[in-house]
Amino acid sequence: MANLIPIAKTVGANRMVPTISIPYPLGDPSTSEEEQWKLRYHRVGVALNALTTDINEQTVFDVEV
Amino acid sequence: MAKAIVYLNQFFGQIGGEEVADHEPEIRNEKVGAAMLYDQLLDGEVTHTIICGDNFMGSNEEQAVDRILGFLKDKEFDIFFAGPAFQAGRYGIACGAIGKAVKEEFDVSVISSMNEENPGVKMYKKDIYIFPGGKSAAKMRDDVTKMVEFGNKILSGEKLLPAEQEGFFKRGIRHQYFLEDETPAYERAIDMLLKKINGEDFVSELPIPEIDTVEIADPIKDLSKATIALVTSGGIVPIDNPDKIQSASATRWGKYYIADVDKLKNRREESFKTIHAGYDPKAADADPNRVVPVDAMRKYEQEGKIGSLYEYFYSTVGTGTSQDEAARMGKEITQELIENNIQAVIETST
Amino acid sequence: MKLELGNFYVKDIEFGSETAFNDGILTINKEEALEVVYKDEHITEADLKIVKPGDMVRLVPVKEAIEPRYRKGGGPVFPGVTGSLLQAGDGRTLALKDMSVLVVGKHWGGYQDGLIDMGGEGAKYTYFSKLKNVVLVADTDEEFEKQEQQKKNHALRWAGMRLSEYLGKTLKDQEPEEVESYQLDPVTKRSDEVNSLPNVVMVMQPQSQMEDPGYNDLNYGWDTNPMLPTFMHPNEVLDGAMISGSFMPCSSKWSTYDFQNFPLIKRLYQEHGETINFLGVIMSNLNVVMEQKERAAQFVAQLAKSLGTDAALVAEEGYGNSDADYIACLVALEDAGVKTVGVSNEAPGRDGGSQPLVTLDPKANALVSTGNVSELIKLPPMDTVIGELESLARDGLAGGWEDDEILGSSVKEDGSVIMENNSMFCGDQIAGWSTKTMKEF
Repeated sequence: MANLIPIAKTVGANRMVPTISIPYPLGDPSTSEEEQWKLRYHRVGVALNALTTDINEQTVFDVEV
Repeated sequence: MAKAIVYLNQFFGQIGGEEVADHEPEIRNEKVGAAMLYDQLLDGEVTHTIICGDNFMGSNEEQAVDRILGFLKDKEFDIFFAGPAFQAGRYGIACGAIGKAVKEEFDVSVISSMNEENPGVKMYKKDIYIFPGGKSAAKMRDDVTKMVEFGNKILSGEKLLPAEQEGFFKRGIRHQYFLEDETPAYERAIDMLLKKINGEDFVSELPIPEIDTVEIADPIKDLSKATIALVTSGGIVPIDNPDKIQSASATRWGKYYIADVDKLKNRREESFKTIHAGYDPKAADADPNRVVPVDAMRKYEQEGKIGSLYEYFYSTVGTGTSQDEAARMGKEITQELIENNIQAVIETST
Repeated sequence: MKLELGNFYVKDIEFGSETAFNDGILTINKEEALEVVYKDEHITEADLKIVKPGDMVRLVPVKEAIEPRYRKGGGPVFPGVTGSLLQAGDGRTLALKDMSVLVVGKHWGGYQDGLIDMGGEGAKYTYFSKLKNVVLVADTDEEFEKQEQQKKNHALRWAGMRLSEYLGKTLKDQEPEEVESYQLDPVTKRSDEVNSLPNVVMVMQPQSQMEDPGYNDLNYGWDTNPMLPTFMHPNEVLDGAMISGSFMPCSSKWSTYDFQNFPLIKRLYQEHGETINFLGVIMSNLNVVMEQKERAAQFVAQLAKSLGTDAALVAEEGYGNSDADYIACLVALEDAGVKTVGVSNEAPGRDGGSQPLVTLDPKANALVSTGNVSELIKLPPMDTVIGELESLARDGLAGGWEDDEILGSSVKEDGSVIMENNSMFCGDQIAGWSTKTMKEF
C-alpha cells in the first residue's frame, strides 16, 4: 500500500494498492474521522482482496474511496 | 610480503583437457601453470594454486565452493585471482562463483578476467572485479598482466580510479567523484542539452539501470484462515523508540506487540509516533493508524474476513535507506514471519 | 524586463567603528549589526564572526546563506518576505560579491542543517568555503521546536536576511565595479534571429514538501507547497523572489544565496541569442501526494508546450520521494516532445550499490549527477568550531547520528567527525556549481 506507485513498481512490488499521500497514507487529517475511517477500511479491504487475486504481472488494484 | 592464491581450471592447472573436466577441487602448496605468470608479475608471492574441473564446479557448485572455502580457511592471503577464463563459459562461471564466495567469506579483493561474451561477466561483474579479456589463451599474458597490475595497485593501497579508467567491467557501484578538470554541473548540463538538441551523442551521468522484477507470490486461497502481518517503512515506533531505529538511512528494524490493542494510540497518549525524518510527522503522530492500519485490520478480523492479525507489527524507516540494507531487513523480517507461519503481509509505505 | 546586478568585490571583512564598504573592505560595527539581529525578540543570544577561505574553522549547524544586497530605490531585497511585495528582476540591485552571510545555530540543529569546513580537506565539499563569510551565530526562544528534528528556524533565517540587507545598504550611494545585465524581450516579441534558435526553458523544482507552513521555499513570500507550476522571468529568481526553506537533507538544498546566483540560469543567459532562445523559468515544486506530483508534471509540460519549448533543463532540490516528481516532470516533457536534461544528486547508499533514484524511467536519458547523498566523509578535528559540534550527532542532522554499531557517534571526542554527505551545507550544489559527478567504481 503506497502513494508513490511508480516507486513501488520500480522496486518490484507485484500487488499494489494506492494510498492517498506520503505523510498520511490512510486518512487525510483535513477530513472528518468518519471519512478517514471509511477510506482506511475500504483500502485495506482492497489490499486484502488483492492478496487473494491471481495476477501474472505487476498490478495496481483500483480503489473507490 | 603480500600473498596471493590463484584459481585455475583443470586445463590451465595442467591436469588435462575435457576428459578430466570432472576433476575434484584440490589445493596445492605451489605455483602451477598460469600461477607462475601471476607470481612473476605480482608485487608479492603466489602461495597456493587451487585447481578444479569445470564440470565438477558446474554440476556440484555448492559442494565445490564449500570444499574450496574449506581449503582456504587456514591460509593467509591478501588477494585472490581466478582465471583468466577468456571465452570459456563454464570456466568463467566457475571463476565468478568461487570468486564471489571467497570475497564474501574472507573479505579480500578478487580479480578475474573474461571475454565480454563470456556469460560469467553478466552473472558476476557486480560481485568481483572482472577485466575484459581475450577470446583465447593466446591472450594469457595480456590478460594476466592487466589483472595483476590492478592487484598490485590494490595491495599498495593506492586510490582506485573509476571503473572506466581502471578498465574492469562496471559493477553498478556508484560513488561521488571530484572531476580533475573541475567542470561545474552548469557547463555539463548545457553541453548535454546542446548535444541533445543537435542530435549529437552525449553521455548521461546517471544511466538508468534495468528495473528489478520479483517473482509473483501465489494468491491466498482462504483469507478467513490466514494470519496477516502489518509491516511499514513509515517509522511508526513506541514513543521511546526502544530499538533506536534511525530517522534516516536506517539499518535497524523493530517489532511491536499489538495483540492487546484495537487501534494504535498516538504520541499525545505516549504510545506510538513516527521517527521517520523524510516526511511531515504531524498526521502520523496524531493517528498512527493512518500509517499502520491496525484499527481496520481488527475490524476485518472481527468480521471474519481474515483469520487474524499477527500479534506484532514490524517497522523501519525508508528514507535514505540503502537498497542492500532494506533487502537485508526485509529478509530478516520475512524469516521471522515464515517461522511464525504468517501467510501474508500488508506493507504500508510513506 | 532588465535586471542590472551591480557587483562590488569584497577583498576583506573586518570589524570596526562604522559599518561601511570602502575600497573592497567591508567594515562592520558589530554592536549596530547585532541590534539589527535583535530586532526580533525571539533572538536570545547572538554574535558575529568572520571566516575566510583556508581558516581552520568548522561551522555547524549552518541554516542559511545569503548574499548581502541593496535594491536601488530602497525596496526590500526579498519582496514579500523582508518587506512589501514589489516586482523583482527589473531595475538595479547592488551586491557584495565573494562573500555571504551564514546563519549558524549557537546550540541547536535539525534535519535540514549543514556543516561547512572553511579549510582543510573538508573545504571542497561546500561552495561556501570559497567565500568570505560573516557568520551570525545565534540562539532563539523557539522552544516548541528545540527538541524537534524538523525546525522552521524562522527567527534565525529572518535575522540572516535582515543582517544581509543591513550590510547591503553600505552600497547605497556607490557605483559598482561591474554591472551584469540580464534582459529578455517578451516571449512573443523577439527578433527573427533569436526566434530561429531552439527554444529552451529552465524548470525548477524547489523544495516544498512540508504541508505545515514555515518550512518550504518561498516565492515572493508565498509557500511553494500550495502552488501550481507557473511561468517566471529568470531575473525574478536572481533578484530575491525566491528564498530557501528549512526542510530536506542539507546537501540537496538550495540556499537563498544559490537562488540569488543560480548558475544554471546565468549559463542559459550566456547561450541566449547564440545557440538558444532562453524563454524563461517554469517554477514547479515538489510534492508529497502522487496526484500532486502528476498534476505538477502535467502543468509543466503544458506550459512548455504552449510556449513552444524545444528543450528544457530540469533541476530538483531534493531526493528520495521527490525523485518521483523529478522523473515524472522529465517524462511528461519528453512525452510532450521537449528534449530534457536533468540536474540533481542521487542516493545509491553508502556502499554505492543501491538504486540511484527511487523511480526510474528510460526516457530520463540525459542526467547530470552532482553527488551521492550517503557518501561517508571523515574529517579531522578543526582548531575552531562555530556553533555546536555535538549538534551533528545529537540533533538528527540528516547526515549525522548519535550511535552506530560500527561507526560509533558522528562526533568523536577529539573533535573529528564521520558523517554522510547529506549534511554538507548545500553540498551537492544542484544549482549548478558542483564539480562532483558520479562514477562507477
